Amino acid sequence: MSLSESELRKITLEAIEELGENATPQLVKEVVEKAVRKLEGEEQRPEKTSSDSGRVILTSFGMNHPGIVAGITKALYEAGCDILDISQKILSDFYTMMMVVNISSSKQGLRELQETMNKVADDLKVKIYIQHEDVFRYMHRV
Amino acid sequence: MPYEFEEVLETIKMTEIEHFDIRTVTMGISLRDCYDRNLEITKEKIYSKILKYAKNHVSYAEQVEAQFGISIANKRIAVTPVSIAFDGLDAGGFIEVAKVLDKAAKDVGVDYIGGFSALVQKGFTRSEAEMIKAIPHALSQTERVVSSVNVASTKAGINMDAVNMMAAAVKKTAELTKDKDSVGCAKLVVFCNVPEDNPFVAGAFHGVSEAEVSLNMGISGPGVVLDAIKNAGKVDLQQLAEVIKKTTFKITRAGELIGRKVAALHGIPFGIIDISLAPTPAEGDSIADVLKAMGVEDVGAAGTTAALAMLNDAVKKGGLMASSSVGGMSGAFIPVSEDQGMIRAAEKGHISIEKLEAMTSVCSVGLDMIAIPGDTDESTIAGIIADECAIGVINDKTTSARLIPAYGKKVGDYVDYGGLLGRAPVMKVSDLSPAKFVSRGGRIPAPMRSLTN
Repeated sequence: MSLSESELRKITLEAIEELGENATPQLVKEVVEKAVRKLEGEEQRPEKTSSDSGRVILTSFGMNHPGIVAGITKALYEAGCDILDISQKILSDFYTMMMVVNISSSKQGLRELQETMNKVADDLKVKIYIQHEDVFRYMHRV
Repeated sequence: MPYEFEEVLETIKMTEIEHFDIRTVTMGISLRDCYDRNLEITKEKIYSKILKYAKNHVSYAEQVEAQFGISIANKRIAVTPVSIAFDGLDAGGFIEVAKVLDKAAKDVGVDYIGGFSALVQKGFTRSEAEMIKAIPHALSQTERVVSSVNVASTKAGINMDAVNMMAAAVKKTAELTKDKDSVGCAKLVVFCNVPEDNPFVAGAFHGVSEAEVSLNMGISGPGVVLDAIKNAGKVDLQQLAEVIKKTTFKITRAGELIGRKVAALHGIPFGIIDISLAPTPAEGDSIADVLKAMGVEDVGAAGTTAALAMLNDAVKKGGLMASSSVGGMSGAFIPVSEDQGMIRAAEKGHISIEKLEAMTSVCSVGLDMIAIPGDTDESTIAGIIADECAIGVINDKTTSARLIPAYGKKVGDYVDYGGLLGRAPVMKVSDLSPAKFVSRGGRIPAPMRSLTN
């Protein structure tokens, strides 16, 4: 890894603090290696994928036919999601459904779940959107 | 159910049908600690600092995009104006800096990096003059670097020497990028009263009063506003203003949420949200169409300026209620080449540069992405820039000019860039010469702030 000047300064300061007047070549090497590891650790923060409240809104619509709700809920069950609320309407041949789903206990992250549901949507020939609850809260609640 | 059916469907309609997207998340990075007497070390410092902060910029934005189902069209970077951070370099040095910015932008995967900029409304340092000389070369030798220069402000007046230098720079940039329809000029904007936290290119830079690093964002949504106006039907103008305000409120709230989430992933402060209605060349994403939906026959008709003024004001009011972090330009943009409705109006001869100039006195930016004949005189370009600055100086607002004197092209020809920059018909400019006026040089003094009639 290449170090910037400010990083080098940081390492030097740490070394001075830790060693004081007892510096030996071996000790300096150990301290520097430790500081470099620490810096690398800072750089490689784990990717945060979880959505905080764990609640997402699943919306689905398309032409009505038997098996849509069954297909969607089965996939959600298999993914380990918990359905908190469902509302569904049929307008002539057009069906719309909206669900509040808790995905915090799911083994799939939001992205994976979206991919799974995209496949389900293709099979059922409907549209499925999954979005974090916050976007609705921010837009429609003051 | 915590949300009404209509509410959820409204959001889905906005994101899926009406092109509501976050136009840009722009990471501002200070480069003020990157100067070194040795140019090679300076370059190394610039590169490693940009990579240190921005290497996850694109992936974090994509992550938030998926989470909320709202697309983020562009991920960009803005840095401290190079003329300030690297004061002391000569033109050659600044070109080297532009190249390293270009490389860093490419390596982190952003399409534009802003900050090849200078603030010279009152005067130049020796190095700032060098930097302006370097602009045409920097823009022709890089792909992703964009440049802006502020030449006027309400507090300082208009630096006519700077205006003349920028007119020359625009002309030279057009010539050096003639193989690509003078595309360099699309990356060069001349400002009056420039905001220091603007996330939109080509004017983006990280102002000197900004933090070490921050995340600014710009929302877009002419399509959403257009549909809201269409759905409102025949209502009076006060009610129409309400409709626009409510719509802008919603998209600003969603925008701020996205911006804060991206900033939180980076662990950096959220800066501002710029609530500009920014068109794209996509059909239905047009400010001209919004103005037509408001009731003018086409852009350029009498009443266009009034309609735009009302739109711009309502957008600001809705946004200000929605967020306490509003900044940047915040208003409505009227770039010609990036807006299908504007392009059509220009083709039909419905709008002229003069009408566009009037419109810029009430909207958020200025004469933007306007192609003019390649043989337009340098002094005429300076005159257009000076006119635009005068509007900004007197009205205490931001104005700008992004003119493309398309090399070798005449009125009726086209410049075509594809993508976000779109295409534009070359428009006529007045043949009358301002040469004797602009060549006087010096500075138009700052205006008085009272007796403002």
